[in-house]
Amino acid sequence: MGIIYLMLIVSFVIAIIFLLGFFWATKNGQFDDDYAPSVRILFEDEENEISNTKTKSNGNRKV
Amino acid sequence: MSQKSCYHCGDDVIGKGINIDDKNFCCNGCKSVYQLLSSNNLGGFYNLESQAGTRPKKGNNHQFSFLDVEDIRKKFIDFEDDTSSHTTLFLPQIHCSSCIYLLENIHRIEPRIKSCQVNFVKREAKMIFDKEMPLSELATILSKIGYTPNFGNKKEQKKQQSKTYLYKLGVAGFAFGSIMLWTFPEYFGIEKTNPEIRQFSAYLAFIVSIPVLLYSANEYLISAFKAIKYRSINLDVPISIGIIALYAESVYQIFWFGSTGYIDSFAGFVFFLLIGKWFQSKTYQSLSFERDYTSYFPVAVTKLDGSKEIIVEIDKVKIGDKIIIRNQEVLPCDAVLTSKEIKIDYSFVTGESIPVTKKKGEFIYAGGKLLGKKSEFVVEKESSRSHLTQLWNEVNKNEMTQDSKEDKLSTYFLVAILVIAVIAGVYWFFFDQGRTVEIVVSILIVACPCALALSKPFTYGNIMRVLGRRGLYLKNNLVIESINDTTDIVFDKTGTLTTNSTNQVRFIGDELSQNQTNQIILLANSSTHPLSISIVKNLKNSTSTTNFELVNFREIEGKGIEGNINGDIIKIGSSHFVGQTNLNKNETSSHVSINRKHIGRFVFQSEFRPGIVDLLNKLSLKYRLHILSGDKDKDKNFIEKEIPAISNLHFKQSPKDKLSYISSLQEDGCNVLMIGDGLNDAGALEVANTGIAISEDIFRFSPKSDAILKATKLYELNKLFATSNYSKTVLNICYLFSIIYNLVGLSFAVTGNLTPLIAAILMPLSSISIVLLSTLLTIKK
Repeated sequence: MGIIYLMLIVSFVIAIIFLLGFFWATKNGQFDDDYAPSVRILFEDEENEISNTKTKSNGNRKV
Repeated sequence: MSQKSCYHCGDDVIGKGINIDDKNFCCNGCKSVYQLLSSNNLGGFYNLESQAGTRPKKGNNHQFSFLDVEDIRKKFIDFEDDTSSHTTLFLPQIHCSSCIYLLENIHRIEPRIKSCQVNFVKREAKMIFDKEMPLSELATILSKIGYTPNFGNKKEQKKQQSKTYLYKLGVAGFAFGSIMLWTFPEYFGIEKTNPEIRQFSAYLAFIVSIPVLLYSANEYLISAFKAIKYRSINLDVPISIGIIALYAESVYQIFWFGSTGYIDSFAGFVFFLLIGKWFQSKTYQSLSFERDYTSYFPVAVTKLDGSKEIIVEIDKVKIGDKIIIRNQEVLPCDAVLTSKEIKIDYSFVTGESIPVTKKKGEFIYAGGKLLGKKSEFVVEKESSRSHLTQLWNEVNKNEMTQDSKEDKLSTYFLVAILVIAVIAGVYWFFFDQGRTVEIVVSILIVACPCALALSKPFTYGNIMRVLGRRGLYLKNNLVIESINDTTDIVFDKTGTLTTNSTNQVRFIGDELSQNQTNQIILLANSSTHPLSISIVKNLKNSTSTTNFELVNFREIEGKGIEGNINGDIIKIGSSHFVGQTNLNKNETSSHVSINRKHIGRFVFQSEFRPGIVDLLNKLSLKYRLHILSGDKDKDKNFIEKEIPAISNLHFKQSPKDKLSYISSLQEDGCNVLMIGDGLNDAGALEVANTGIAISEDIFRFSPKSDAILKATKLYELNKLFATSNYSKTVLNICYLFSIIYNLVGLSFAVTGNLTPLIAAILMPLSSISIVLLSTLLTIKK
C-alpha cells in the first residue's frame, strides 16, 4: 500500500508544477491580449517568404 | 455608374481620384501611405483585410515637438538603456489584423525602430527604438501611416485587478481539483478499511486548503468583517458565514476523525465565487471612462520668451504668458487673442461643428481648436483654473451606496437562515441533543448563497456584452442597475440629438449645373474642413463620378479653398474670400465663385440624427424627457411640434445650468440619466445617476461617463434600455432557482441527512446551472 502515499505526493507535486506554470503565464501577460497573437502567428510565414527574395529583415520580436 | 472606392481606406473616390498601379485612392494621404508600404514590401497589409487603412490626418510638423522636451519625454519612456528606448503608446486607430501586421513590421519602414508589439485589447503598441531617435519622429512616422498616438491619457492608471483575480482563481482551482482527487475514494466509501491513507489524504487536503482560505477567499472575509464593523449587511456576510462554517466543520472532521469532511466543497465553493468575480472584472480595457480635461488638452504648449519660442509643460504656463497656438491645436487656457482674426472650432466643447470667428482682443475660452494661421495669445487664467476645467473641480459625485438593493436581499436572507437555524437547533436539542451543533453547522453550510452570488455577475456580465455588441459600452455592470432605475432622461441637443458631422446644407443662388456640381464636389473633397465635408456629403448622391482633375489646389486656413478644374478657377470659402460683402451675419455659410463670378452660397443648419423623433416619442411613453441646449431656441418650434411629449425644453443653458438642473431633478427624487457629448456636458454627465457619453468614434475623446454610446446607435436607445431592463427578469429567474437549491439543501440539513457527498454534488450543480441559465437566457438577445 506504500505506493499510494507515493502516488498522492507525486500527484500533489505535479499539480503544483501546473499551478506555477499558470502563475508564470499570467505574470508574463499570456492572458492580456487574446486577439493579436492569433493574427501574429500568420505573419511569420509571410515574412520568411519575403526574406527569401529580399535580405532578411532584422525583426526582433522579443517582448 | 461604377462607384470606385479607395484601395487604402475604403472611402468612395470622388472625381478622378488618384490612380497608381491600377489602384484608386481618395486622397494624397492614402496614396502616400500605400506607396510607403509597397516600397517597403509591406503589401501584405492589403491582403489580410481589404481597405483596412485609416486615412491619415493632416498635421503640422510641430505637432509632436513637445515630445523632445526632456521632462515631457521622460513621462512617456518606460525604460532606457545604452542603445535603445522603450515606450508604450496608445494608438486608438488600431482596429484589425492588418493594423497589427503593419505596426509590427514598422521596422522595415524606419530601421531605427527596433521592434513593436501590439496589444490589441488595449490598443497599445510597445515600441523599442534607437536611443538617438527623437520621440517626436517616432510619433510623426506613426501619424504618417494613419496611427496618430494619443499622448493625452498617459496619466490614467489602469488597475491590474483582473490579474489578481486570475491568481486567486488559479489557487482555488488547483485546490479544488487536488482535493476532489484525494477525496474520490471517500465518495465511494472505499477507504474505510485503510484509515491511515484516509488520514494522510485528509492532512494533504488541509494543507492545500490554507491558501484558499487566506488568499483566495480573503476579499469576501474582509468585506464581511468590514460590513459587520459598520453595522450593515451585504451579501458577503452570509457567504463568509457559510465559508467559515464549512471550513471549521471540515477542520474538526480532519483532526478528530481523519476524514476530509467538506473541504472539497469549500475549495469548489470559493473557486466558483471567484469565477463570478473574474467574469465581472472583464470590462472594456481599451475604452476610457475616466478622462478629464487633462487628457483632452495638449501636454505642452509653445511659449514666447522674448522673441524665442520655447516649449513648456502646460502646468508651467502662468497668467500673462504669451503663447503660440498653431493650426489644429487646442487652446489649453482661457486667453486673449493678440493676433488677427481666427476661427475657433468648439465642437468638442459644445458639439457645435461650425467654427466661430474671433477677432483681435477677444477673450477665448479654453478647449477650442484653432483653425487658421498660427496665432498669439496672452494667458488670462491658468489651465487648471480655466472656465471649462472648473466644472471638473466643482463636481464631487456623492458616492452612493451602490448595492443598496442587494443589501436588503442579503438582510432577509441572513435573517431567514438564522431563524431556520435556531428553530432546527431548538428542535434537535430536545430530540437528539448530541446532534444539535452538527445540524446547525450543516444548515449554515448549505444556506451559503453561492448560486445567489453568481447570478448577478453572470447575468450583468452577459447583458453588458450584448449591449457592447450593439454599440453601448458600459463602464462596469453596476451601470445596468442605474439604467434600470431611470425615471428621467435628459438630452443635450447640439451634437447629441443633432449630428455634428453632417449639417443640413441648402444652396442659395442660381441652380447649379451638373458640371458645376461635380467641380464643387471635387474641390470640397480635397479639404478636411467640416463644412467642406458637409458639402460633399450633401451633393454626392446626386451625381455620377467624373474624370475631372484638380490642379493648383490651395487651402487658406480660416478662409477657404481654391483650385483649378478643367481650366475653371473655383473658390469656396468665406464671403470675403470670394470677394463678396457679407450680408447675413447670423447664418453659417460658404460662398462659391467660379472664374471670379459669385454664383451662390451654401447655408448650413444642424440636422437631427435619423430616427430621433421616433425614438423620443417611444421613450416618452416610459420616461420623462428633458432637453437642455446651449443654443438659442431656433429649434424650439420643431421639437414642440414633432415630439409633444417633451414638456421640458430649456435653451441657452450654460454648462453650470445643466449641472444644477440635474441636481434639482435629483432632489425631487428622480433617477436621472444624462446623454451628452461635449465637454460642456461633462459636469452634468458626472452628477447624473447615469451619464452616457455619445461619440462618433468610441476610442476618441469622450467626457467622463458611466457608458459610451456609438452615435450611430442612438436611434436604438429604447431597445438598448429594454435589453438592460431584461436583466431584471433574468436575475429574478436566477434568484428563484438559487432559492430552490437552498431549500433542497436546507431540507437535507434540517433533517440531519447532509453528508459531504450530497454537499459535494449540490454545490457545483447549483453554481453551474445558474451560470448556464443566465447565459442561455441572455444569449438570444
